[in-house]
Amino acid sequence: MKKFGIVLGYELREYFNSKGFVIFTLLLALGGAILLFLPRFIDLSGFTGVQVIGGSGPDGESDVSGGEGAGEESEKTAYLYLDTAGVVRAELLKQMFPMGNWQPAESEEALIAAVEAQEAEAGFVVLGPAEYRYYVFNKGMSDSNTAMFDQAMKQFYRMDYCEKKGLDLNEIMAVADVPITVEEQILNKDSGSNYVYCYFLVIIVFMLIVLYGQMIAVAVTNEKSNRAIEVLVTSTTPNSLLFGKVIAGAISGLLQTGIIMGAILISYEVNREQWGGMLDMFLHIPLEVLISFAAFGLGGYLFYAFLYGAMGALVSKTEDVSKSSGGLQIVIMIVYFFSLVQLMDIDGPITRVLSFLPISSYSMMFARIGMGTVAPWEIAVSFLILVVSIIGAGILGAKLYRMGTLRYGNPVKLSAALKSLRRSE
Amino acid sequence: MRLEVKDIRKSFGEKEVLHGISFQVESGKALGLLGRNGAGKTTTIRILMDVFHANSGEILLDGEKFIPSRHGIGYLPEERGLYPKRTVIDQMIYLARLRGIQPSEARANAKKWLERLEVAEYEKRKLETLSKGNQQKVQLASTLVHNPEIVILDEPFSGLDPVNSQILKDVVNELIADRRLVIFSSHQMSYVEEFCDNIAIINQGEVVLEGELREIKKEYGHNRLMLAAENMDGESLEEKLAKDFADLVRVCGRKKEFLILELTGPAGRKQVMERLASSDIEVERFGSYAPSLNDIFVAKVGEEA
Repeated sequence: MKKFGIVLGYELREYFNSKGFVIFTLLLALGGAILLFLPRFIDLSGFTGVQVIGGSGPDGESDVSGGEGAGEESEKTAYLYLDTAGVVRAELLKQMFPMGNWQPAESEEALIAAVEAQEAEAGFVVLGPAEYRYYVFNKGMSDSNTAMFDQAMKQFYRMDYCEKKGLDLNEIMAVADVPITVEEQILNKDSGSNYVYCYFLVIIVFMLIVLYGQMIAVAVTNEKSNRAIEVLVTSTTPNSLLFGKVIAGAISGLLQTGIIMGAILISYEVNREQWGGMLDMFLHIPLEVLISFAAFGLGGYLFYAFLYGAMGALVSKTEDVSKSSGGLQIVIMIVYFFSLVQLMDIDGPITRVLSFLPISSYSMMFARIGMGTVAPWEIAVSFLILVVSIIGAGILGAKLYRMGTLRYGNPVKLSAALKSLRRSE
Repeated sequence: MRLEVKDIRKSFGEKEVLHGISFQVESGKALGLLGRNGAGKTTTIRILMDVFHANSGEILLDGEKFIPSRHGIGYLPEERGLYPKRTVIDQMIYLARLRGIQPSEARANAKKWLERLEVAEYEKRKLETLSKGNQQKVQLASTLVHNPEIVILDEPFSGLDPVNSQILKDVVNELIADRRLVIFSSHQMSYVEEFCDNIAIINQGEVVLEGELREIKKEYGHNRLMLAAENMDGESLEEKLAKDFADLVRVCGRKKEFLILELTGPAGRKQVMERLASSDIEVERFGSYAPSLNDIFVAKVGEEA
């Protein structure tokens, strides 16, 4: 135990004395905190306003532009239309979409030529009261021109119909589009708004496992390739060496993540009012989710770190580490993608199963706590399974480590290593 | 202190690599553990260090079961290895602490040994920035940093220039004089002859020769003579001896400067001298032959192989 403490201390100093580790941690923590404190010192209301309105719904674009003012005609987006059916009401079109510079075209050919020359963003040839042809040069991923023009065409149609029938359009619209007031009372979790931070936390814990796991594997292999292991194994037990490395990685990872996330989350909570709550979906994370993230994330990290350490011991050159840990990486990647996909069905059967398996509970259980319904016994059982699995992974990892550390030359295959272990037992 | 290795056997899987290794060594004396590559020396040392477990046999220290963790053991492996990217002093303190030394004592010891080996100026440098010879000396300093009672040196002189070799020789002599128990493994027989009182030659997992070096040499030199002639080359001399001296000696080896003869009958050195004096051989060199350790090693391992 004492030797474990010495190894742990030495490995921790290696992390903390690393300029890269310290600079990266401080840079992210301070950078995040400074950014979140900005609204206290700089007026960001314009920016905040844009974001709030822009994110509020499909009419956002008109609201944003409206807020900023109509601007010069030359700054507006140019649209051409050709009205072959006498449907278009030009003034109304300009009123409805003031950010567009709406111009009639002389002919369909002229309209196409202008769009091809990119003098106009798009062109609309109206063929009838409910029919038009749309021309665009490159259609973007978020092209909403047809949705916009559909809205205008519907309005023309309604107005035309009401005029012909002598009806009051406003009265009909009031009946057809009654505004409904909703008072929402969420009794448990708001999965919609919790989704974003759960998504990010899954990515963070995945990155930590892969990054630190790989670092541990490389450190173990390094000790073999520079033959330091020859002296180390005669000075202490392989268990102390592996456990010291893994726990040091866990502590430094937890500390690094804690400092960065702590600085960002606390800074946001302090300045939440100034931000108008606009980053709540990323940074307003309930304490219970953070605690479960720390507990399950750390558990998942330890589970995989022991296995990474063992994989590192099976090869003698650092360039072979990826070969040795490839299988483990694939498992982690599959779990990661499953976790992200299953966030959409947080109370589904697959998510429930994944939240109990040690290979995936590190991400799925805190996601369920954040977004779904979890009974306390489920959390306890899942955590217990994880703890038992960590101990199992630690024992297996230490055995593989002990067996692999003094085997040089070609990489030892995991199957051969396990066979050799069984034989020796 | 007396360390006894008794009938150690070790198998890896189905293959037995050590077939009953036995030797002994006392403090204040050095044992030369010799053998060709792959003979089983490193495996034996690892069993001694408790890195591997023997399938059978025992290791005793002063008649009691030897438990390595209870004794200070300094091991200089043949495959040198420390942390290239860490400072010399840090890793020496780390290794000393792993071997049970308190931090302040570990620092003092590290400084003492670095000074003794004339590399104190590099204590704050990263190991990788040192020359190969200095890295070697740091490695030896790390081996001795916890003042071990038992010192195992595997090829300690490889890669050292004559000046550094001399420093190392002095240190090894000091360790022996300080009544440490030294096990010395090397292919450089001259060093083994210089330091070791006892040897154990391992070949294919077996001890093929073990004992006091002086006695072994005496035994191997028994009934052996060396002869060189001024008026004949080696080949002519050998022919002449085969023809006229067959009842007294036979040629059992040839060196660049002389032939090695073995007495074949009851006659002794005196009779051979008399016969030589009456022959036409102009004797340049004649006397008892004391074989070098290298001769004994080649003869023994060659025989067994």
